Amino acid sequence: MKPTVTWDAAAASHLLSRTEFGGTPKRTEQLAARPLSDVVAVMIEEAKAAPAPAKPGWVKEPWVNTERVYPETTPKERMENHRKAGERQTRERNELRCWWLDHMIRTPAPLREVMTLFWHGHFTTEAKRMFVAQPLYTQNAATRTHALGNFRDLLEAVTLDAAMMMYLNMEDSDAKKPNENFARELLELFTVGIGNYGERDIKELARALTGWTLDAPPGTAKRPTVADASRTFCRDGLVPTFVKEKHDAGEKTVLGKTGKFGVKDVLDIVAAHPATARFVSTKLIKYFGASDPRNELRDRMAAKFGQTKGDIAATLAVLLASPEFFAKESRGTLIKSPVHLLVGTCRLLNLDVTATPSLAQVTAAMGQELFNPPNVKGWPGGRDWISSGSLAVRYHLPEALFDGQEPAGFEPIATDRNFALPADEKARKELIARIQNFDKKRREERKKDGFKVTFDPAKALDGAVPEKAEALVAALTAKLFVVAPRTDTTAVLTEVVKDLPAAERVKLACRLILTTPEYQLA
Amino acid sequence: MLPMIDRRRFLSVGALTATVPGFLAKTGSLLADDKSLANKDRVLVVVQLAGGNDGLNTLIPFRDDAYYKARPKIGIARTKSLKIADDFALHPEVGDLRKLYDAGELAVVPNVGYPNPNRSHFRATEIWETATPEKDVLTGWVGRYFDAECRGVPSPMLGLQLGEKPAMTFAHPKGRAVTLTNPSLFKWDDATGKAMERLNRVATTDNPQLDFLQRTGNDTLSLSRKIQDALKDGKSGAEYAPFNFSQSLKVVAQMIAAEVPTRVYYVSLGGFDTHTTQTGRHAGLLQELSQGIGSFVADLKALGHLDRTLVMSFSEFGRRVSENEQQGTDHGTAGVMFLAGGKVKAGVHGSRPDLSDLDEGDLKFKTDFRSVYSAVLKDWFAADASKVLGAEFKHLPILA
Repeated sequence: MKPTVTWDAAAASHLLSRTEFGGTPKRTEQLAARPLSDVVAVMIEEAKAAPAPAKPGWVKEPWVNTERVYPETTPKERMENHRKAGERQTRERNELRCWWLDHMIRTPAPLREVMTLFWHGHFTTEAKRMFVAQPLYTQNAATRTHALGNFRDLLEAVTLDAAMMMYLNMEDSDAKKPNENFARELLELFTVGIGNYGERDIKELARALTGWTLDAPPGTAKRPTVADASRTFCRDGLVPTFVKEKHDAGEKTVLGKTGKFGVKDVLDIVAAHPATARFVSTKLIKYFGASDPRNELRDRMAAKFGQTKGDIAATLAVLLASPEFFAKESRGTLIKSPVHLLVGTCRLLNLDVTATPSLAQVTAAMGQELFNPPNVKGWPGGRDWISSGSLAVRYHLPEALFDGQEPAGFEPIATDRNFALPADEKARKELIARIQNFDKKRREERKKDGFKVTFDPAKALDGAVPEKAEALVAALTAKLFVVAPRTDTTAVLTEVVKDLPAAERVKLACRLILTTPEYQLA
Repeated sequence: MLPMIDRRRFLSVGALTATVPGFLAKTGSLLADDKSLANKDRVLVVVQLAGGNDGLNTLIPFRDDAYYKARPKIGIARTKSLKIADDFALHPEVGDLRKLYDAGELAVVPNVGYPNPNRSHFRATEIWETATPEKDVLTGWVGRYFDAECRGVPSPMLGLQLGEKPAMTFAHPKGRAVTLTNPSLFKWDDATGKAMERLNRVATTDNPQLDFLQRTGNDTLSLSRKIQDALKDGKSGAEYAPFNFSQSLKVVAQMIAAEVPTRVYYVSLGGFDTHTTQTGRHAGLLQELSQGIGSFVADLKALGHLDRTLVMSFSEFGRRVSENEQQGTDHGTAGVMFLAGGKVKAGVHGSRPDLSDLDEGDLKFKTDFRSVYSAVLKDWFAADASKVLGAEFKHLPILA
């Protein structure tokens, strides 16, 4: 017999913990009163209809490179331009992290952001390897636009985009010697996955992707830069532009198909490949934490993905209404990502919060720096979120959210060495001092706004603060946990709350709840 | 479980304020100092060069014209490279490694790889960390060593990694290793620690994820005191560059000197994926590697712990022999490994790669990396290498 879903308040709470960073008791009740299929359909429709956040003020169209080096640029000017651009980029990156976090905390349609975060970890770009911040925004905007749209559209939007082109070296890949970096990751990590292609496919695909560069918008008057300047110092713009002479127009064979392929042809091939449907479905199942030991859910999702030619919303709807997703093995077994933990806490406790760089650093210290995944594979998730190191950071979360204090150790031990230092001791020491000073300024800049968070006990409990300690603990754990509290948890919380003046109970109970094993789960 | 009366007492001591730190009096260390745990035995420090280090520009076959032909723009000039053997020279920025070599404290293994090389960062890294190229396994080679040979050692951190993402090298169902990004994070006062200790006390449930979190929480809290104790003096016998990798090695040296119960340390230096304009970046990375290891060896020597310390570096692959059009190199196959410490047999252990006999533009490896692991297991840890690695590998005489 086909298993069915028992749709009740617990199931609604489970759904919300995965799709909306957690649900309040009120929202949970509202959802439980309607049929599951309606709930999923409406949730997805609302997420699709949600307006995108206003773009940050510093995003410029067209973008202008202030670091270009002309024949008459003096070395001093060049250094000064580079320094200023570096400072601006640091500031913009900080603002970008805050901009997104703030939107995640406030949005009335969180599923759109939950899906944007999914694609953010799929089509990755490491901020630490980018020297311009604007592409990080445009990539984020593209993934949000198509987050619940069509996969093929999404794939093209992130491929012919400055962030990916710069990050995986498709920019300026030349027919003479194609750069294979993007081609490899496209197959391995973005579409068909390992086991469905060979080294030959990568080489041929790389040829099809040649001929693209980033340039000023068509028709822009250009001023020539010095010969041999690296891309940072001569790039005219961020518009993906095809340069026919650098494209390999010959015949290629990619995944069994042969033709004189260009970028759009190969994107068609990989997007329509059945392995892509399975690969994307598997990743969604893992991200939303469904238990699918026999791959039956995966196969149903992949079939829907195939029938709808890559409709992401339709594929997700299969997952969110599936018996697998609501099975016992799927409940309370997803380890919250750092972003989920932080955003969920702010939302559930109705904290009065404005995202600042210090707040953004909290997720970074827990192992998820927005716009800066550890590598091209994104964040592995699951148990990889938890080690003694990252758990120690999670234990400091109440200090940040309730006391507005940044604990020691939220940054790496030191900065990285990005270039060789001179052998001459005096010159080396001077340079080290400059690097350290730059790093110090970067830290100060990040910390200057501190935390802007206020905790209100009444708001945390949606206006109804029970008087009895047992009832208070029960209300808080019911609201904040998706798993049943263990005996010790309830006992410790109750004992602590009992001996406290009423005014301090809620906050201290919340502090301790945040450090429990239960609270790490969705 | 504590009787209720005790729990009540310990939870209600002191002024109960909204900050946890105030609400419990000091109740002693989280993990009492137990000298019997001290590790005076040998330790291994694994250094991961993440991203695929360009072996050919690290250990340069400077007599081979084919090398310069393949790398007209990024090849390291003969005159600049640091000659260490008839066929080999080191990159100009690894002066400290060269000094170690001259002092008899550095072994170099060229052209290390394995059959049917994989060029994906992730799979290749897994292969090196699991030491099982033939199939997907979920255990790391050091994780298996801990399980096979260290069962009786009562240490909460037989493996210790400084970094973000837990290394698969330590992976094992009975995990004995911890990963931490910054040791300062393990500071909270005893009162907070005590409260959290109770909230994280293990009570097995039917939810494996919840149990995993309880266990890790417990480990985290008990480690905190150990780590703070080891680092509190901050004694250092050498000066380190103020960069991440070097500073991580400084922390490792302090832990080794404090004889914390750790046998294998793991530190990463990332950024070796040099697809474009690699010359400057690679030079910076190699300089950091060389100066980091140079300071580390000097430090341990000064503190009297070098004889019990072995450093071993690896990278998931070397890079394509020919440079690409963007003055970088794409993913390749065989690479170079370094071993440093008091007991290595200094020298280059292997012949130079044959650049005229390539496999689709990539090197054919000569030494299987598992031979190196085997030597470390057998000759350094006196362990049953074939049991850990699942097969016998040719013995490499790299350790005295």
